[in-house]
Amino acid sequence: MSNDILLSARNIRKSYYIGTPNELEILHGIDLDIRKGEFVSIVGQSGSGKSTLMNILGILDRQTAGTYKLDGIDISKAPNKALSSLRNKHIGFVFQTYNLIARTDAISNVEMPMLYAGVGEKERRRRAIELLEMVGMGKRLHHTPDELSGGQKQRVAIARAMANDPDIILADEPTGALDSGTGRLVMDLFHELHEKQGKTIVLITHSNELAAETPRIITISDGNIISEKTGGKGVA
Amino acid sequence: MIKENCKLALISIKANKMRAFLTMLGIIIGVAAVIAIMTVGNSMTKGVQKQLESYGVQNISVGIEQIDYSQELSEADEENMKINPETIHSLANDFQDKISAISVEESVGQGTVLVNNKKATVDITGISAGYFKANQFKLLHGNYFTEAAYNQGSKVALVSDKYVKQIAGENYNPEDILGKEYEVNVNDEYLTVTVVGIYEYNKQSGYGGASKVQSTPMYIPVNTAWSFTHSKAIYYFTVVAADNVDAIALGNEIKTYLTDKLTTQLGDKFMVDAYSNQTMIQENSKMMGQMTMAISMIAAIALIVGGIGVMNIMTVSITERTREIGTRKALGAPDSMIMLQFISEAIILCLLGGFIGIVIGIVLGDMASHFMGYAPTVSFASIYMSVGFSMAIGVFFGYSPAKHAAKMNPIDALRYE
Repeated sequence: MSNDILLSARNIRKSYYIGTPNELEILHGIDLDIRKGEFVSIVGQSGSGKSTLMNILGILDRQTAGTYKLDGIDISKAPNKALSSLRNKHIGFVFQTYNLIARTDAISNVEMPMLYAGVGEKERRRRAIELLEMVGMGKRLHHTPDELSGGQKQRVAIARAMANDPDIILADEPTGALDSGTGRLVMDLFHELHEKQGKTIVLITHSNELAAETPRIITISDGNIISEKTGGKGVA
Repeated sequence: MIKENCKLALISIKANKMRAFLTMLGIIIGVAAVIAIMTVGNSMTKGVQKQLESYGVQNISVGIEQIDYSQELSEADEENMKINPETIHSLANDFQDKISAISVEESVGQGTVLVNNKKATVDITGISAGYFKANQFKLLHGNYFTEAAYNQGSKVALVSDKYVKQIAGENYNPEDILGKEYEVNVNDEYLTVTVVGIYEYNKQSGYGGASKVQSTPMYIPVNTAWSFTHSKAIYYFTVVAADNVDAIALGNEIKTYLTDKLTTQLGDKFMVDAYSNQTMIQENSKMMGQMTMAISMIAAIALIVGGIGVMNIMTVSITERTREIGTRKALGAPDSMIMLQFISEAIILCLLGGFIGIVIGIVLGDMASHFMGYAPTVSFASIYMSVGFSMAIGVFFGYSPAKHAAKMNPIDALRYE
């Protein structure tokens, strides 16, 4: 099974220096393996270090110590310049606050990661339409974010995360800004991506309820993994 | 990629139309000022040039000048300033291949003519045959003076159409005027002349505002003038160089020739001056060019201030869009793309401003040139310069904010509120 491992973190530490020698360690040596096709939730209270972990897993930040391999690539050894291209090809982000580009229509938002990947204009358009139809936004291709509801925005964001067919989707509190009804729709979409397309999804949340939907739950507290459960009710 | 960046930039400019316009205003004013000033400068240079050329490009003014103007002159000295007609004759002979004509003038004074209770004023000027070659002149009716008239000092005259209209009305019959004798009162002395020709009075050839001048020249042979004034003094004359002769070089040759010939007359108080109109035209062109350049430099300051405005707005725009930059970076935008995006935005902003400025500049320049009475000549060099300059401003003042955006840490940018 080890050849299935997509993401492998060993003894990840992250510290901040708030004026030496006052060092503040947020992550105290995280060990984590995620296999292809898994739907994992990382759950923890605010301040637990889950966002810091997500930033490192998403290659938005570098760990202070430890190794992190994504799809066999040792990220810690990759030069800074290569990080944006690694993010672009391997990771799809879904944020709590959607982070769609303002004044830019849904289709252009979805096209953006492909633009940075150097995909041609026609192919970009085709794929963007396909993805938006998949998330049920096929009729709102040319709506700008301020013409969309929260749930609609998050669906566009999910389509965007899928644009370059990433190895992994990192969703940071994706339902945090939504009411329970639309939140439900978004969660259903993740389940669909996981089950039908076999996408690897990492859900970061503070809600035990949402976490319970996923087949594997990792609980993090004070920068340590305190428990790991498999076989939640998300197992189909 | 370039196309995408331009699109992004246009979207962002459209989203903040008012702000974009205010930013562009600096560039617009700067570019418009530079172009308007250069257009006016160009038009003025061309206009003055044309006027100078109308005095004859091949003309060389020759005269005797006092070396030190602070010295007082005795009566004998005054005599030494006069040029002997014999000198002019020998000059004409020795340079006959290079000289097309020599013009001598003698101003008699202003005179009045009373005809049928209508008064007209004329400036009586004695001229030699060369006058018509040294000056632009168009004869409407009648004839020029005959050689005999010049030699004998006949009492004949050429009058302007304007003068004729003053005494005979707009729809005069030239037959009524030609051959008619007029009595001209000059300083209470009477000169009776027969009109042999009518020339077209060209108000352009005079100085500004000439259209209001009531008095027009009445030309008589120079010998006639001399006999009327009882003096025969030539203080200066005009040499018209032959068409294929370099007037500036000829001017110098004449100067050397006359200095040599008149050594005793000149003494240590006087010198010969032979000044070519072309020298004047060149000097004028150079001076106007320098003046235009200097004022344009001042206008260019407006462009630089405009550029700083662009930099300011780019900084604001980038701060406002920190989250967007963070998102783009999370989605995999390399630093170079972020940088390109914002530099494109600055360049487009400046180019748009530049184009508007060019249009306004041309309109203003044309209007100002018209107002000043010159035919407008748009300076294309100034347009290329302005477009290039506004692009350069975009790059130069967009670079530092764009660099700042590109170097943002994606997490900090995403968290930015």
